Amino acid sequence: MTSVKNALEARQNKEYVSALTELLFQLADDDFILAFRGSEWLGLAPHIEEDVAFSSITQNMMGHAFMYYQLLEQLGEGTVDELAHERSGKKRKNAIMLEKVNGLGTYLQSPKFDWAFTVVRHYFYDVNKKIKLDCLQDCSYEPLKHAAINIRKEQYYHLVHWETWFKQLVKAGGEAKTRMMVAVEKVWNEFDDVLSLGPRGEVMANYQLIDREDVIRQTFMNTIGDVFENLELGPLPKLKEMKKSGRIGEHTEDLEKALATLTEVYKKEPSSSW
Amino acid sequence: MVEKDQKEHGFYEVFEVFSKRSHTSPMQYQFSLLAPNHEMAFILAQENFMRREPVVDLWVVKRSDIRKMTEEERDLLKRLDNKSYRLTKGYGYLRKKWREYEQRMFDEKEIFSWGETGDDKRKKRTGSKAK
Amino acid sequence: MSPLTKLYGERTEEEKYEYFMERIEAGEKIEADDWMPDEYRMALIKLISMHAISEIMGALPEKEWVPKAPTIHRKLGIMAKVQDEMGHGQLLLRVAEDLMKPYGKTRENIMEDLFSGKLKFHNVFHMEAPTWADAGIIAWLVDGAAIITQTNMLNASYGPYSRALHRICAEEVFHAQHGESIVLALAEGSKQQREMLQDALIRWWPSLLMFFGPKSAATTGSSKQDITIKYKIRTKTNEELRQDFLTKYVPRIRSLGLTIPDETLRYDEENKKWIYKEPDWNEFKKIIKNQGPKSMERLTLRRIAYDNNRWVREALQ
Repeated sequence: MTSVKNALEARQNKEYVSALTELLFQLADDDFILAFRGSEWLGLAPHIEEDVAFSSITQNMMGHAFMYYQLLEQLGEGTVDELAHERSGKKRKNAIMLEKVNGLGTYLQSPKFDWAFTVVRHYFYDVNKKIKLDCLQDCSYEPLKHAAINIRKEQYYHLVHWETWFKQLVKAGGEAKTRMMVAVEKVWNEFDDVLSLGPRGEVMANYQLIDREDVIRQTFMNTIGDVFENLELGPLPKLKEMKKSGRIGEHTEDLEKALATLTEVYKKEPSSSW
Repeated sequence: MVEKDQKEHGFYEVFEVFSKRSHTSPMQYQFSLLAPNHEMAFILAQENFMRREPVVDLWVVKRSDIRKMTEEERDLLKRLDNKSYRLTKGYGYLRKKWREYEQRMFDEKEIFSWGETGDDKRKKRTGSKAK
Repeated sequence: MSPLTKLYGERTEEEKYEYFMERIEAGEKIEADDWMPDEYRMALIKLISMHAISEIMGALPEKEWVPKAPTIHRKLGIMAKVQDEMGHGQLLLRVAEDLMKPYGKTRENIMEDLFSGKLKFHNVFHMEAPTWADAGIIAWLVDGAAIITQTNMLNASYGPYSRALHRICAEEVFHAQHGESIVLALAEGSKQQREMLQDALIRWWPSLLMFFGPKSAATTGSSKQDITIKYKIRTKTNEELRQDFLTKYVPRIRSLGLTIPDETLRYDEENKKWIYKEPDWNEFKKIIKNQGPKSMERLTLRRIAYDNNRWVREALQ
């Protein structure tokens, strides 16, 4: 597969552009919705220094989503803000695990957010994100390849940050470890979706947009398997099959509520400049 | 001692943060933060104090590991300003002397220029032109 | 021998005080472990811990708008801004913590004092922020007012505070522009957007006047301004700062066609000062007793988040 230099070239091949668009929506929506969940934590993290650092990660992630939406904009899918604010839940391609609420309450009222869940979800997500970004270094679509080269450099910090939290809280034992293990189970039960490239994964791989899904899955399982072994958490359980998949636009009420919040002001006057 | 210090502190310890802005700049003190250990201090440092400036290197130091001066000890630092013999300003008369031998003075500016490559000199010239 | 020519260890307590005042007069900076009179330490602890906790409580009204900000660009901007507020809280807490160390007090005590009502947070952060325009007005005018009080202390005699303020003020420049950008977009926007902005200004005006505190202790029965001026922590009085604010911001507000809700507001050329309608200082007294419109709600939010994450702090101790 020769490389495709820009949107114009991509649009010469209908099958190519549809697989590319699909992949970009997954990448963008994943980062965007998890960044939204991160933004709800602002001001509420366990200690102030962490609050500040976490917010940088959230901003970076939203910046990554922005870059992917820009690539979609170039492919004629609509403007960045239309893509982020006007698409209904059915059109969103993020994995279900990433839209789940942070815990009990809301960011405005009684925020009993679950730090263990946040650490585990972000850590596992970032392990997988790194693997995908590694693959994208060889992506046939040049603009995506270049975006991935840049994002990968910034994302390394995210991975190390969450890895540090994950390991330290697990090693702390006692209540912390119990909470972490509950969170691991919760995240693991619905993680299959995050690793999925959706029904067009084959086509994506055939066009050298990204590696085959089974290869990415295997790399992920090996990486997390090593982490489990080093922390003496026993063998990695098998991933559960899920009834629904965000990759085909199936979501939960959590996403609907999130969309209502994040579009509240935009929807007052979508055509206005804000 | 460390244990006692931690208890005294209620939660977490004080870490001092140092960073380098560029490969040619020296390590510079930034600020302090509270963290449970070195690794955690490490992943918190940059985003707490250098969100808007470049960083090429970073140190965190546990404050309790620093031997600081007390106010009383700072009297150890006082000295008289009578040591021109240590400084080039004590040897300024040489410029005139060398002139008698039709030689230039090897002053600081001259000596440092010996280490420059052709590239550095060109950069300096264009740099000063730009100003 | 004069106390100034003596070595440190040779000075009596009174001579230490004399030397201390001499250093302040000479513009030297006092550091955390230096000798300082109790009155100075107490004034600093009170001022800086209140400043610190106000930054952290001050993140809350704007934080309400972080996930809701209208565009990705605005979401990122306000996130970075609120993050800075938390960051300012961090810097100031560290400064306060080092001052409190001799009393065996820590960050935990500061938080507990906030929850018990012993430690007050700034009156401006007890108010409601019901629309996106409020986020704009806060960033533009509340931060504008904060810049005026904080730059007034940039050269504070206490070194760590002065250094923290330098970092803070550098970021406030970004905050002010972030606020201007939101406000200008609304001012140049639709009728609905302009109305939203005007309403927010009406809501915030009395709070902006109260921001600088009472003219003197006679107004409300409490004011720390005299001690802080004596020790060169600040230079200007509350009223001087309020006048500076009016001079800088009234023309800008009016240039956007916005109406300030005070018909008596005018500049008296003769006496070179602004005449304005006094805000309700009884309301101020209520607010600083945590009886403002949002006082309890925000304190509760902060307490829930703090208690809920206690296990994390304890796990890594």
